[in-house]
Amino acid sequence: MIARHDLPVRVIARSELSPTCFRLELVTGEPVSAAPGQFGMLTCGDGLDPLLRRAFSLAGVRPHENGAIVEMLIKEVGRGTGLLHHLPLGAALRLLAPLGNGFTLADGSGDRLALVAGGIGLPPVLFAAEQLAARNVAFDLYLGAASSAELLEVGRCRSAVEVVGGELVLATDDGSRGEAGFVTAAVERRLAAGRRYLRALACGPTPMLAALARLGATRGLEVELSLEEPMACGVGVCLGCVVELEDGRFVPTCKEGPVFAASRLAARWRA
Amino acid sequence: MNVSLRTHVGDLALQNPVMAASGTFGYGLDLVEFCPPERLGGVVTKGLSPKPRRGNPTPRIVETAAGMINAIGLQNIGVEAFCRDALPELRRRNVLVVVNVFGETQDAYLEVITRCERDEGIAAYELNVSCPNVTAGGMEFGHDAGTLMSLVARCRASTSRRLWVKLSPNAPYLVDTARAAVDGGADALSLINTLRAMAIDAVARRPVLATRCGGLSGPAIKPIALRMVDEVHRALPAVPLVGIGGIESGRDVAEFLLAGASAVQVGTAIVRDPTAALRIAGELEAFCAAHGVADVTELIGGLTC
Repeated sequence: MIARHDLPVRVIARSELSPTCFRLELVTGEPVSAAPGQFGMLTCGDGLDPLLRRAFSLAGVRPHENGAIVEMLIKEVGRGTGLLHHLPLGAALRLLAPLGNGFTLADGSGDRLALVAGGIGLPPVLFAAEQLAARNVAFDLYLGAASSAELLEVGRCRSAVEVVGGELVLATDDGSRGEAGFVTAAVERRLAAGRRYLRALACGPTPMLAALARLGATRGLEVELSLEEPMACGVGVCLGCVVELEDGRFVPTCKEGPVFAASRLAARWRA
Repeated sequence: MNVSLRTHVGDLALQNPVMAASGTFGYGLDLVEFCPPERLGGVVTKGLSPKPRRGNPTPRIVETAAGMINAIGLQNIGVEAFCRDALPELRRRNVLVVVNVFGETQDAYLEVITRCERDEGIAAYELNVSCPNVTAGGMEFGHDAGTLMSLVARCRASTSRRLWVKLSPNAPYLVDTARAAVDGGADALSLINTLRAMAIDAVARRPVLATRCGGLSGPAIKPIALRMVDEVHRALPAVPLVGIGGIESGRDVAEFLLAGASAVQVGTAIVRDPTAALRIAGELEAFCAAHGVADVTELIGGLTC
């Protein structure tokens, strides 16, 4: 059994991605190896309030000196993320990572993968896209958001897709950029036109994930969803973040997920 | 300075006073990569019922100021799976195991104990008569002195192992229930469990938790827990106490020992950091060294007024 510990990290870089979203880069003193879909539990400061860490999907990990740089894309939604948004560079935090499982990236049939991201669901999808590009595995990337201003990291998404000759599909609910309407409708149009995928990997708001699960069930497409549930411990003991599976069991999203095959989830996900 | 951290809860010897509280350390092995259970004073299992329980709907947890409210509802794998899948490895590792026992009826508590009696490697039972998150059992057995005494007496008759009772801070007369547990045959008392609490989403105009209310834990409740340990210790000075409530540091442990606890359990701190219990034990040693305490048991009940 490998001993694991809490990683001391420092904020090394931060940049604004949209009015509410930012990229945070954290440097560790030791190597970190993680797979797309895995996440970390990050402290928001030193004090007892906020008490709990925040769970963030990893958007990328790269070697740096003797350690690594761990990248996160974060939306400011409350006090914890607000504190992270305004920490000075160099601030010390603690990170438990990597946690949970990852997407199934293996190719097989010759069909492409479909990567689908909605809003701040982008981080694990971006991590997967850049890793697939590095391995030259073909994929299309669907990136959706409420409006143009909230489409994140379009340039990086485009670069990754171009490496493998895939398509980058942008969609906005208000039609301000790309195709108008939900990103899942953009996926459905291409499936209806005969495009085939080996598997779809997705992260985004729950209604988007549910729509994709339904689409997968109707069209016989294997779908993996990265779920977001409020987490307290991140390591499977508090049982706060459970999701219901098809067999009726409640399992912790942090430990058995956060990535689940849509077909394993309770039927209401596909209803 | 060489510090001895060894302590006793009644006749049970602990290598240090820091244990993992029920519901925050799984079944003893879940966090083994982060915190080897054999290095703690002991571990208290997630509450075990006769059959597996699914627990409550979500949302089950919400963060509050310096605390969190949970309403997990005693989701657990059931006593049989614990004895089969976890206990042998805990025994092999020489972990001090306290089984937290839960039932919806008195008979269900006895059923859990009876199953555990078939296996070696359990140091004590901790009766959970204080869970605020279930509709039957739990807190209802912990609030009325007569009911509690009868439950403890029945459990007492079914085992020669040590019997601890985890008291509810929600009971109207704390000392009365403490005395009832002891009169029923408890060897030690653990206190406190979570406080009934609520969080509201003002924009949605709804309770945050699916069950409306839950149990508050974390540093926010530490002063209440200290007061309760102090109160029970003064009323029943001969009864061994295990202090629980918002412990985040070695210094916090010292405070509980001074109030009269012989050992402590760390809960929400583990939820924040799976390595917390070990860190806290280390900090306790450093605290003792810094303040000339050669033997941690010097602190127990050591308030000077």
